[in-house]
Amino acid sequence: MTAIELRGVTKEFPGVTAVSDLDLTVEEGEVYGFLGPNGAGKSTTIDMVLDFVRPSEGTVTVLGRDATVDSVEIRRRTGVLPDGFSVYERLSGRKHVEFAIESKEVDVDPDAVLERVGLLDDADRKAGGYSKGMRQRLALGMALVGEPDLLILDEPSSGLDPAGVKDMREIVTAEADRGATVFFSSHVLAQVEAVCDRVGILRAGELVAEDSIEGLREAVGDGETLEVTVDAATDDVLDAVRAVEGVDRVDADGDTLLVSCDPGVKTRVIAAVEDAGAVVDDFHTSEASLEDLFLAYTEGEGTPTRREDAGTTTDEPAARSEEVDG
Amino acid sequence: MSLLAVANKDFQDTVRSRGMALLVALFSLLVAVFAYVVRPQGQADQFATELLLSAFVGPVLVTGLVPLVGVVVGYNAVSGERESGSLKLLLSLPHSRADVVFGKVLGRGAALALATFAGFLLPALVLIVVPVTFNAGSFLGYTVFAAALGVVFVAIAVGCSAAVATRQRALIAGIGVYVLFVLLWGLFTGRVIGAFSGPIEALPVSMAQIRTFLDVANPTSGIEVLANGFLADQLFSGESANQQVSAVAMLVFWTLAPPLAGLLKFDRDDL
Repeated sequence: MTAIELRGVTKEFPGVTAVSDLDLTVEEGEVYGFLGPNGAGKSTTIDMVLDFVRPSEGTVTVLGRDATVDSVEIRRRTGVLPDGFSVYERLSGRKHVEFAIESKEVDVDPDAVLERVGLLDDADRKAGGYSKGMRQRLALGMALVGEPDLLILDEPSSGLDPAGVKDMREIVTAEADRGATVFFSSHVLAQVEAVCDRVGILRAGELVAEDSIEGLREAVGDGETLEVTVDAATDDVLDAVRAVEGVDRVDADGDTLLVSCDPGVKTRVIAAVEDAGAVVDDFHTSEASLEDLFLAYTEGEGTPTRREDAGTTTDEPAARSEEVDG
Repeated sequence: MSLLAVANKDFQDTVRSRGMALLVALFSLLVAVFAYVVRPQGQADQFATELLLSAFVGPVLVTGLVPLVGVVVGYNAVSGERESGSLKLLLSLPHSRADVVFGKVLGRGAALALATFAGFLLPALVLIVVPVTFNAGSFLGYTVFAAALGVVFVAIAVGCSAAVATRQRALIAGIGVYVLFVLLWGLFTGRVIGAFSGPIEALPVSMAQIRTFLDVANPTSGIEVLANGFLADQLFSGESANQQVSAVAMLVFWTLAPPLAGLLKFDRDDL
């Protein structure tokens, strides 16, 4: 059974389409990182999963049930850390957890929950006096009550200090080990990189990429850039490098050649440069990071080219030169 | 049960508010002032409990102030949580929106009832202790009617609160209801009867019956009918028994219908 399944989901608010024809599947037991810049539609998607808002089109199925019709039953088995929530200022932290226990009709020791999220010492203080990070911990504690089958965490690290982020990561890992499905959103890749089995990247209401972390790494890993500084970057040198098998693309930045190529052909690139009569002053490789990829997906004008598509771009300089020739 | 969990949470949250303590103090002060005004003069030791209730506490406190307090306690029940974001925390837990609306009516109604009892009974304790003949039974019974009226207005205000998206709109709607029922009801019903006098005459009921119905249709006058019956020792008996039954029916209606109407809107809304 899938934990979360969205099929053709569109959500339109007056004047704006927040989510557009979204298909998304989260398998049971996996940790799924839902990435995207602020305003991409992550929270709207989560709000539809929780039945805070209803889709304009499409179906949302959670734990095998319809998200709108069976929302209460779904939430009985789901722990939620919402985004942009506020606490009950006049009630203590313990009262909050007790309320969650009473609401989920489970028999749990509130102190154990408070201990787990590091709030036991402040449990009897009014939550109105809590810091942002403590409020986040409190809501996480309420979400963890009753060993939910599905955890939905919307921007869980916001407001947390580094120690809090580490605690959050450990709790997510522990919950996943227990067998829970974890679905969490973030606008920072580094937060999901360490714990996620799979990530989906949302931009402007559409899923622009969905892969495992390894898959994403592969997508950027073979796109290494070799930077070669020569005495004179002439067209002959550029053409010689372009002729090397395994080279995707060559650009000149002053007297520095920027060569996108397979990792295995670096030495042949250097040899080609020297064969063309240039003197190599310096060279080094820069590895494209996942962060670059994420930024390219979320900030770029178009979808970045993957390895398969890269072949077509190789031809572009050649095509241009033909035009010049013609 | 989910509704009770929400009610319990909301009750605890409401009784901890500063407004609650203020309310108890205000009620106590007013009851004490009124009691001082009607205190026995000279050698008489007969305390005029009924005079206190029907001439002072009734018109000023119960039919004037209690409905207003009910509106104030109820108006931000749902809209306030929606505006602040705590509704997200609440609805992350397995509660239906119906549990939220009716849990709020119950929790806040109970909180207001508690404040009414506390505010009315603190000064009454003094009257019970001092050597005057104080009709404690009448006073305590009357307090129940005051609390009941408060609960009705809490329910109406929670209904408004569920139907609109912001606190401000909920307050405007609640004040509107207060103005209609407490200040303008006679004028309003007079106009209605005036405008529909033709059709009404065609109905198989007399104008007097229509007036009586419209009178008890207002929760404040409904409570007055019941409280007066109680003070006259004629609750659900005597001449006005039928009117009292109608009053009870209308009070039940006003307790259930506005939250239900608000829920219909709230249930369809994107939060």
